[in-house]
Amino acid sequence: MLLDREHLLGELFGIVNVPTVIWIDEDDRIVRPCVIVPGDDLFKDFTGIDSSVHHNQLRAWVVDGVLPPLSEREHAVVPTPEEQLARVERRVGAHLARAGRIDAAERHFARAGELAPMNWTIRRGSMPLRGEDPFGMPFFEFYGEWEAAGRPGYGSADPNAAS
Amino acid sequence: MADSTITLVVPERGEVRVGATASATSVFVGPDVVASATGWFLKPEGLCRGEVCVPVRDGALVDETGDLDVERFAAALGLPVVLDIEEGVLSFGETADVRADVIATGIAPDFELPTLDGTPFRFSSIGRKKKVLVAWASW
Repeated sequence: MLLDREHLLGELFGIVNVPTVIWIDEDDRIVRPCVIVPGDDLFKDFTGIDSSVHHNQLRAWVVDGVLPPLSEREHAVVPTPEEQLARVERRVGAHLARAGRIDAAERHFARAGELAPMNWTIRRGSMPLRGEDPFGMPFFEFYGEWEAAGRPGYGSADPNAAS
Repeated sequence: MADSTITLVVPERGEVRVGATASATSVFVGPDVVASATGWFLKPEGLCRGEVCVPVRDGALVDETGDLDVERFAAALGLPVVLDIEEGVLSFGETADVRADVIATGIAPDFELPTLDGTPFRFSSIGRKKKVLVAWASW
């Protein structure tokens, strides 16, 4: 287990939500780009994602070398200049929040959210540092915005799930 | 202009204090500082990273001591930058084009992050095996 305080993996792999899984083969080729994969079915009623779909796909790849057909919602998300700037704003906001500079941090978190309004790792990921409950009303307001926008971003490993 | 220090926030290295010269509207830091944060070096032929060099046309980029105006430096390269002069914090990002180029290769970039006890772990140390990278948050 690794700690990624500065969201380095988000930058390098285009991760915009968690839990995200990426499959990488022996030659370091990304054979399955970012896909939403809950480890279990604890939140299945909310996400609609059956975790066993990914477990079975992963087993088939590791044991038999069989890759699943990728759905049209499985694709690498290419970042925009606004999203790249949003990541830096979030990083500075997180630094200031950890230093106790709450008001200053808030300016940068707010700007990050304006620049990348559909990025979960920025919007929801900043909530604890902003003193907000990532399972509370701010999250559900964000979730509503994301749904109204057509659930942008990459999808899940379960083709029967809505996201 | 006043000599001071600012905090440079770098994804792979966290926070480091660096020397800076600041006015009300701009901050200058040494070329070694921007190089360590971005990989871009100031050379006679311009700003260079690897085999790529960008000619410097902004006469105000470098001051008389050889330090660089951080916002002019970022503008010359199209780099995202956040400079909070009031709080004394600076951070650079990477351009969307460079990130898109890396993604387009289909090759996983190498990286280093700390384990729970702080030990640095380099992804490439896993070697020639199938790898499943799981990114999640504790909330």
